[in-house]
This record gives sequence, structure tokens and C-alpha cells, in this order.
Amino acid sequence: MIGPSRVAELDMPGAAIEGSSTRPAQSYWNESWERLRANRIGIMAGALIVVFALIAVLAPVFSAVLTHYEPQTIDLSKTFSPPGSGHLLGSDELGRDTLTRLIWGARVTLGVALLTVAVSLTVGTAVGMMAGYYGGWFDDVLMRLVDTVLAIPAIFLFILMSILFKPTPVSLALIIASVGWGQVARLVRGEVLSVKQRDFILATRSIGARHLRLMARHLLPNVLPVLIVAASLGVGQIILIEAALDFLGLGIQPPTASWGNMLTNAESYFFHSVWLVYFPGVMIFVTVLASNVFGNAIRDAFDPRLK
Amino acid sequence: MLAKYVARRFFASIVVVLGVTLITLVLMDRTRGTYVPGIDLNPALRPEDIARLRADLGLDRPFYIWYITWIWGVLHGDFGRSMIDGSTVMSHILDRLPNTLELTGTAILIGVLISIPVGVIGALRHGSKTDHTMTVVSVAGFAVPQFWMGLILILIFSVTLEQHGLPWLPSSGAYSAVNGGDFIDRVEHLILPATVLSFFYTSTWSRFIRSSMLEVLSQDYIRTARAKGMSERRVVYLHGLRNALIPLVTLIGLELPGLVSGGLVVEVVFGWPGIGKLAFERALQYDYTTVMGVTFFATMLVIAGNLLADLLYGVLDPRIRFA
Repeated sequence: MIGPSRVAELDMPGAAIEGSSTRPAQSYWNESWERLRANRIGIMAGALIVVFALIAVLAPVFSAVLTHYEPQTIDLSKTFSPPGSGHLLGSDELGRDTLTRLIWGARVTLGVALLTVAVSLTVGTAVGMMAGYYGGWFDDVLMRLVDTVLAIPAIFLFILMSILFKPTPVSLALIIASVGWGQVARLVRGEVLSVKQRDFILATRSIGARHLRLMARHLLPNVLPVLIVAASLGVGQIILIEAALDFLGLGIQPPTASWGNMLTNAESYFFHSVWLVYFPGVMIFVTVLASNVFGNAIRDAFDPRLK
Repeated sequence: MLAKYVARRFFASIVVVLGVTLITLVLMDRTRGTYVPGIDLNPALRPEDIARLRADLGLDRPFYIWYITWIWGVLHGDFGRSMIDGSTVMSHILDRLPNTLELTGTAILIGVLISIPVGVIGALRHGSKTDHTMTVVSVAGFAVPQFWMGLILILIFSVTLEQHGLPWLPSSGAYSAVNGGDFIDRVEHLILPATVLSFFYTSTWSRFIRSSMLEVLSQDYIRTARAKGMSERRVVYLHGLRNALIPLVTLIGLELPGLVSGGLVVEVVFGWPGIGKLAFERALQYDYTTVMGVTFFATMLVIAGNLLADLLYGVLDPRIRFA
């Protein structure tokens, strides 16, 4: 999910960086930002994500101005209306407007993904940093814990936990993050192990810096690039997992609209209302595609190991 | 050295297996402490009957006693009986295992057979139109939700084709009950789910092979081979591909647990009677023993897959030493 996932090897053609400039040395961040801006496909994908995020944030405005429906308004006299004048993208088995539900579904999808990434990164960084920094038996115990978490077939864990905790967007994010942090922890630990060998850490310690200051002010900034890359590559995977859980009936529960749970009854639409099968899937596909492409652009620009 | 390495990995694995099964049990125990599986089938049961049933299933004991009993059983090769239907967990697993192996095995085989040539061609014609097209397809492969791809394939190849009176593919199950599941029938059932699964594998692996092939081809020993006048074909296939395939071994090894859990969503969409679907259904019914059995089995696969990948890596790449 988060971490050196499969997506890590996916580089877009045309994403290559134009020949390096002859200007004097720049800071890491300036340089990375320049590289990112030079990547047109990546920037387009990023812009698309921003647009989706805006739509998600402004969902109430859209449903008031554009569609004139609420996502949960049931109208049994207009079930399965085809896309057209009354309902721009048709309506479902309860006469609810598909476009409105898609717009509100973006909130769930992007919100859960964002929260999952935030929680995974926070917990994973804390654990990985302490394990790598203190080392010894403490490291052993923490890493065995990480091994255990990563050895559980994730989907089983998700199933059990979503039976246990009634899935809301927040609890669903925590459920997915309960596995995601493990990979982040491994990544951060590896990075810390190498950074803490460097001379500047010895120098900082010799002038009397405390552990906490050392970790927060000196190790964290050096781990940050790896974290940025891991986070941006993880979003797509998280969206796919969340959608699959919703589809299986284990995620966000109806009547709250999510792209995944709009497909739970897809089999019953096959013979008359095919659009209900297409739209949510296309939304998931486009969003994941955009986040993967943007994630790769971020990696190409920010990953110090690629230089 | 190697024996010591394997031994250390083995002991680390025991800790992991104990951890995983314990977490699973605690989760299930917390889920429904008072539940007796199958109780909702008979609302006429009296409280004392329920208490007796719970005692029979061992649910009246604290979960750690239950766990120790379970581990003791597992050490003696006994995974207990399903709490829903009373047949042994082992028989359930053995019943579903061939179907799962049939599906994932086929998908992995197709994935390997397609991704190797695709990856090699992508690397050799780096930057060409062919390379770009294949990149776009595999980038799409990462982004398409498996369950949705399954639904769309069912919609096209089962529903629409049948509506137009054309030959159509079955959308559910591993074989049909009517004509007894002969070879042709099983293949027909296999096509759609195997397509979905192998599409995912292919897009993953072909990218890895492409990038590792590109890396290998830029190595000095490849230049040496070319410089001494070796034919391009021999350079690419003998020196290049052989080394480029090493990462694939790891990937396939890491996919071993996917034999059980990776296909879960696909199995549910296509009603494929495999282990993933078994675990999904039984978890929803709180069948402790069956879920524990499948989890144990799946975890063993994760560990075995990781170990196998590491060991094979050492065999294929003599530069790697185990310590």
C-alpha cells in the first residue's frame, strides 16, 4: 500500500526530465520543485486531483446549484431513469440522482484516502524512527511487530475489523491504516539507520542535543523525501482498497454514497440500467490513475535515491 | 551459514504466526462475545440450550484458553471443526484449495507468459510507440479496480453476448452442475476471472521486467559481451534476460500469499468456490475455527513465499550471501 510498492516501478514515458540547467546549485526543495514543474503529464494529473478535491469539498454547492438533488433523496416514482434532462447521469433503484451521489462519493473516497495516509505516515514514522534510532532489543520487538502486521493477509484483517468496528469514513481509514503503517515504519527505519551513521549526527550529539531534538530536527528532515514519495504513491492503492471494501459491503454503509458501495448491487443493473455500472467505476479508475501518475511524477522529482 | 539463516528465519516465523493468529482470534472474540454460530437459524432455543451450545464450542472459556487449545490441536495437525456445519476445517480447506490453485495458478502462468516478452520488448525498444502503448496499458492495469473490471467483463461477455444470441461465457462458479464440469466447461468458467487476475499480474510484472532489463542492459558486462562480438540475440537473452528475471522471482514469491487472499475479491465477484470466498463468507458468519484455519494457512504461505523468494534469489544471484 504505502511504501516501495509495485507502483514504484511504473514510470511514464515523456516524464523524463529535461536536460539540467547550468545555474548554480539550488536547494533540494527548489530543485525538486523545478523538476516536478517540468513534468507536464504529472502536473496535469495533479491538477485533476485538485479539481476532484474541490468538487468533494464543494459537494453541497454542486448539489444545490448543478443537480438540484440531495444525495439521499429517494423518489420511488423515478427509479432507474436513464441519463438525460431530469437526472443528468440517471437515477438508481431508489430514484436517487447518480451525479449527486458521485459528487458526494468523492468526499468519502478522497477523505478516507487522505486520512489513511496521514495516520499511516504518523504512526509509521514514529515507530520506524524510534526503532532505527534506539536500535537493540527495542528495534527487535518493534520490527517483529511490523513483521506480524505485514504477514496478516490484509484483506482478512479488514474484513474482521470492519465487522468489529461499524465502518464510518474515520474508522475505515483507521482500519486501512492499521496495515499501512507497517510498510512506512520499515521504510523510515531503513532510512534512519543510514542517516544516523553520518558525521553531522555525531556532531549534533557531541554539542549535547537531546534524543527528541535529534530525531525531530535532524533525522526527520532527512527522512521527509522518502515519506513524500511513499505517501504520493500510496494514495491510489488506498482508494482501490477502500472501493473494494465498500463494494463487498464491508466499508461505507448505504445510504451514505461512496463509489464502491454504488456498485454493490451492480449485478441487478445489468439488464436495464447499465450506466449505473459504468459511472462509479470510471470515477474510481480516473482518480486512481491520476494519483498514480502524479505519485510517479513526485517520485521522479523528489526521490533522492533516483539521482 | 545457510542452515543458520533458515533456522533464524524459522524462529522469527513462529513469532509471526503466533502473533497473527492471536490478533485474528482477539478480533473475532471482541466482535461477538456472546454469539453462538447458527443461533439465528433457530430462534426457539432456550437460554440453557444456548449456554450448552456455547460450552460445546468452547466459547464459554476465555479466549486465551481457547487459543491454547487451538494451538495444541494445530500442533497435532487438527484444525478443529467448523462452528457452522461441524465438518472439519481441513476438509473445507482441501475442498476449496484446488479451485483457488486452478484460478490463481492459471492467472500467474498467463501473467508470466505475457509479462516477460512485453517487458523485454519495452526495454529493447525503449521510448518507441510500442513501449508507450504498453506502458499506458500497464498504468491502466494498476488503476482499474479488480471488482469493477470483473463486473464489466460479466456485462460484456455473459450478459450482452447472451442477449444477442451469441455464444457467451459463464459468469459464476468453477463449473456447471448440469454437464458435470468436464474440461471444456471448466475452462469456460475460468476465462473471465483468470483474465481479471492475470491483467493485474501482467501490468505489475511487465513494468518490473522492463526496468530491470533496462538496468541490466546498461551494465558493463553487457558492454563487454557486445565488445567481444557476441550476437545481439545472445547478449539479450543469455546475459540480459537471465539477470533481469531475478526480481521477478521475488515478485512471484511475494505473490504466493495472494494464492489465498489476493484472489478474494475476484472470487467473490465471480462466485468462484475458492479459499478467499470461503474466508469471506465464514468471517461474516463468525465461524471462528474456519477463519482461524484459513488465516493460519494464509500466513504460512506469506512466510513461505518470503523465504522462498529470498532463497531462490541467492541461488539465481551468487553475489548474494546469507548472513
